[in-house]
Amino acid sequence: MATWGMVFDLRRCIGCNACAVACKQENSLPDGVFFTKTLSEEVGEFPDVTRTYVPTICNHCEDAPCERVCPTGATYTRADGIVMVDREKCIGCGTCIVACPYDQRTRLEPEMLDEGLFGGGRLTPFEEQGIGRFTVGTVVKCTFCHERVDAGLQPACVSTCPTEARIFGDLDDPTSRPRRLIQERRGRQPLAEKNTNPRVFYID
Amino acid sequence: MIASKRIGDGTFRVGVGLQKAWGLHMATAFFFGEAGAGLYFVSQFFDFVLGMVVGLALVLFGKAGGHVLHLGQPLRGWRALAKVRTSWVSRGLAAILVFVVAGSLHVADAMTGMLPAFVSQLVAAAALVSCFVIMVYQGFAMSHSSAIALWSGGQMPIASLTYALLNGVLLTLVLGFGEPFLAEQPETVRLLQVFAVALMLYGLVTVLSLLHGARHASEAGRESVMLLLRGGFARWFVPLVIGLGLVVSALMMLAAPPAFSWMLAIAGLELTGYYAFRVLVFKAGGYDPALSYAYRFRH
Repeated sequence: MATWGMVFDLRRCIGCNACAVACKQENSLPDGVFFTKTLSEEVGEFPDVTRTYVPTICNHCEDAPCERVCPTGATYTRADGIVMVDREKCIGCGTCIVACPYDQRTRLEPEMLDEGLFGGGRLTPFEEQGIGRFTVGTVVKCTFCHERVDAGLQPACVSTCPTEARIFGDLDDPTSRPRRLIQERRGRQPLAEKNTNPRVFYID
Repeated sequence: MIASKRIGDGTFRVGVGLQKAWGLHMATAFFFGEAGAGLYFVSQFFDFVLGMVVGLALVLFGKAGGHVLHLGQPLRGWRALAKVRTSWVSRGLAAILVFVVAGSLHVADAMTGMLPAFVSQLVAAAALVSCFVIMVYQGFAMSHSSAIALWSGGQMPIASLTYALLNGVLLTLVLGFGEPFLAEQPETVRLLQVFAVALMLYGLVTVLSLLHGARHASEAGRESVMLLLRGGFARWFVPLVIGLGLVVSALMMLAAPPAFSWMLAIAGLELTGYYAFRVLVFKAGGYDPALSYAYRFRH
């Protein structure tokens, strides 16, 4: 069984946000919900200024605090390491949201689903086909596009990234690309001091 | 500089972001939980039935009501009992259920003497233990979240216990004023007053320790403390939580004559400060920049 993980190559990310668009399209995400975000930051002072881009996503932590604190067992980890939320069990208490050091979870509020992307409560056909995936009041997050992964495909954000800044694969396989990149370029985990052991790494 | 000082404002920038998952409803639930459980805890020592009934009602309607308003799917709330082994929310719910049943039985028994002696003692013990869990578990539920530096310190459960006991003592002094167990024993009133002052001083040190720990814990902790002491929340936190809630009420208690109006005023000030503490500590809770580490290794 593979253990899925992802590597972000910070040298390659250009902040185009194609990943966020692909993610929203793949998962039919309502307005205000993002499973992946590209943060930006200006570094330096004029005239020596640059803007850096930092893609973020659920880190599918090995020791996931969201899973530990969930009172219903709605958050669970699959055998392949993907951390999931069972929307039938989730009560929307938000404990997982305040426990996630990476702020990668969102509770679906009624207005997110009712208003529609263009407001006024009118849903487009695209939104109508996607709305059935969600339950108001429950928590949602990135699933590494588990349906695609189960079908042997890459997550939508990885397939879409034009610069190949996102590399997805089996972290248990010493020959996989993410594993080699982590070893060769000293991949680092975000907020490693939180002891969550994320399965997402950053290289530069 | 690890990350920009910018507080999360809806734009996707590197910086400290404030949590928004737990808000006013949760703060209200926490408030009623610790006020009600504290009142019941102190009242049971004096067999003060009115205090026990009010304490039970505060937990049952105030705390549970706040949680129901907060939950995204309240009808599934019973599922929160599923993970008692790992989740403080589950443990808290279990304690609430035991407390409501055992506390109600104990009150009925205190009024009618309907239970055999052994069962009566068992019920009283169950009520007291579950009540104690309610007094502390909220602090553990918050400090269990390593994501938010302001909450994750070990002082949070101590703050919960201190505030719960303080609320209990003050509400007992108010509700029990004129009752035989206080009116006929002035030394008990004096003892509770001294106990209240001690708890206020201890609470003050606990709150300051909490801030001190968060200040030196991380970027987000520093930002949270700045918000509470110098930023947007300072105009509420300093005068209400520190000033009226702990310092002024302690001074008033030291000078208080045995009069109902004084006890009521002191309890009002302290409870106002405590509610402000709950709301503001929720609002000021911030996440560290997710990439502070990545940023550091890049430079």
